[in-house]
Amino acid sequence: MKGLIGSIYRRSIVIVAVLLAWTIVPLFIKHMFMPSLIDVLSALVKMLETGEMADHILSSLARAGAGVVISVVLALPLGVLLGWYPKIEAYLNPLFTALRNTSILALLPLFVLFLGVGEISKVAVIVFGCFFPMLLSTIDGVKNVDPVLIQSARSMGISPFGLLSKVVVPAAMGFIISGFRLVCSISLLVLVGAEMLGAKSGLGFLIYRYEQSFQVPKMYAGILVMIVLGILVNWLIGKLERRLTIWQSVTDKETA
Amino acid sequence: MGILVKDLELNYRSRGRRNKLHDFQALKDVGLEVHDGEFLSLVGPSGCGKSTFLFLLAGLIRKTNGCVEIDGEPIDGPGLDRGILMQQYALFPWRTVQKNVEFCLEIKGVRREERSVIAARFIDLVGLRAFSHAYPNALSGGMKQRIAIARALAYDPKILLMDEPFAAVDEQTREFLHEEVLRIWKATKKTIVFVTHSIDEAVYLSDRIAVMSGSPGQVKEVIDVDLPRPRLKGITKSTPEFAAIRLKVWNILQEAGGSSGLKLEELIEDSAGL
Repeated sequence: MKGLIGSIYRRSIVIVAVLLAWTIVPLFIKHMFMPSLIDVLSALVKMLETGEMADHILSSLARAGAGVVISVVLALPLGVLLGWYPKIEAYLNPLFTALRNTSILALLPLFVLFLGVGEISKVAVIVFGCFFPMLLSTIDGVKNVDPVLIQSARSMGISPFGLLSKVVVPAAMGFIISGFRLVCSISLLVLVGAEMLGAKSGLGFLIYRYEQSFQVPKMYAGILVMIVLGILVNWLIGKLERRLTIWQSVTDKETA
Repeated sequence: MGILVKDLELNYRSRGRRNKLHDFQALKDVGLEVHDGEFLSLVGPSGCGKSTFLFLLAGLIRKTNGCVEIDGEPIDGPGLDRGILMQQYALFPWRTVQKNVEFCLEIKGVRREERSVIAARFIDLVGLRAFSHAYPNALSGGMKQRIAIARALAYDPKILLMDEPFAAVDEQTREFLHEEVLRIWKATKKTIVFVTHSIDEAVYLSDRIAVMSGSPGQVKEVIDVDLPRPRLKGITKSTPEFAAIRLKVWNILQEAGGSSGLKLEELIEDSAGL
């Protein structure tokens, strides 16, 4: 119990100090662009009451969610295939490396040009940003499967599909989940950029609009929600990860 | 009936420096007969191709020439008449003990209830019922190998192929596992082909020992181990008969010497691409 309190203390003290400074300092040093946390929170409460914030959160989450789901559905099977047939991967690898190192937002105008300013181009750019990290993590995972496990399964006469679904994918799950974690944070990053460049809803749009109209506390409220959303997504994935890789962590518990 | 190997040859092409191809002869003129229900050990210097030979029997590597038959049928790939045990256990870490043992039954499409009954029976046989729902990471090396044995027995192969199964456990555990494997062998009447580099282990466990020599791998001599069964821990090993057989094997190994220096991993990868 004492250890738990200590742990909570260590983890939260710096954040509490920052929030406290954000509350107090602007009361003495007045600046239009640096409102106190109190003003930001009261703006946030108002935006929550009118339902404005919820609308923007929902439309942002829908875009990010659609982008993540589509990219995972595309990248996972392809990654398993390419990891399994490294000869094909050797041809494609230079292209992947080039595309992965391209700034996604630099390509945004291209997406707008081809797909217009509507929802499709926004989701498409998220898919594009998420696809390659997911693909490369999956390929890495499949390549790193212990060959002894594959031999063992093959010695039991497993079918090629069974080998992939019952051995290769579960064995690569650690890599796949860290890819998924990366992809979720990328999706929020790209999302905000996409929404700032021509959108009518979403958190990125909200932040950008209130910056343009100098309604600074509301802008900060948007940023704050963005941060909380990021933390929340990360926490959820952490839970998912522990659930799917429960077998990795049993060592200490069961032998103790 | 049993396993019959005649004039077996395995050539292997390896990519060396500057991508040059080199041809290795891993096995040459290998001849061996393993009788039904027999416990036969393969010993030889490291790199002599004994594990390669075992993987070939498992159907995980393809031969170049010669004849390998089980009960008169030529081996063509892996099959459920043979179960293989590996030094690194090769348990699936994301499956519980029970689910590991069920694995092959699952592939075969055995019904869920039947699966769990069969799995429970073999987990009982290796004495690990209390750990049915544990994950392999929570088990010691010796326990993992016993689970691997249960997994191989679950699909009822005629032949168990063991590739240095007890090389990675400590001495005491190894002695315990020797008693276990003899007990299980007696209870199930399997044919066992056991690869080891420990002469003591081979003499203590086997009916016969095939001694291999390296570069290229060949079966040099097959020795009968006519020690009475049951073999008794602490007694059998201190008899003059045991020492005599041990010395005989050792002498042949000394003459054999050498190794072909091939790598099993590369061979398997090579065959997998076929």
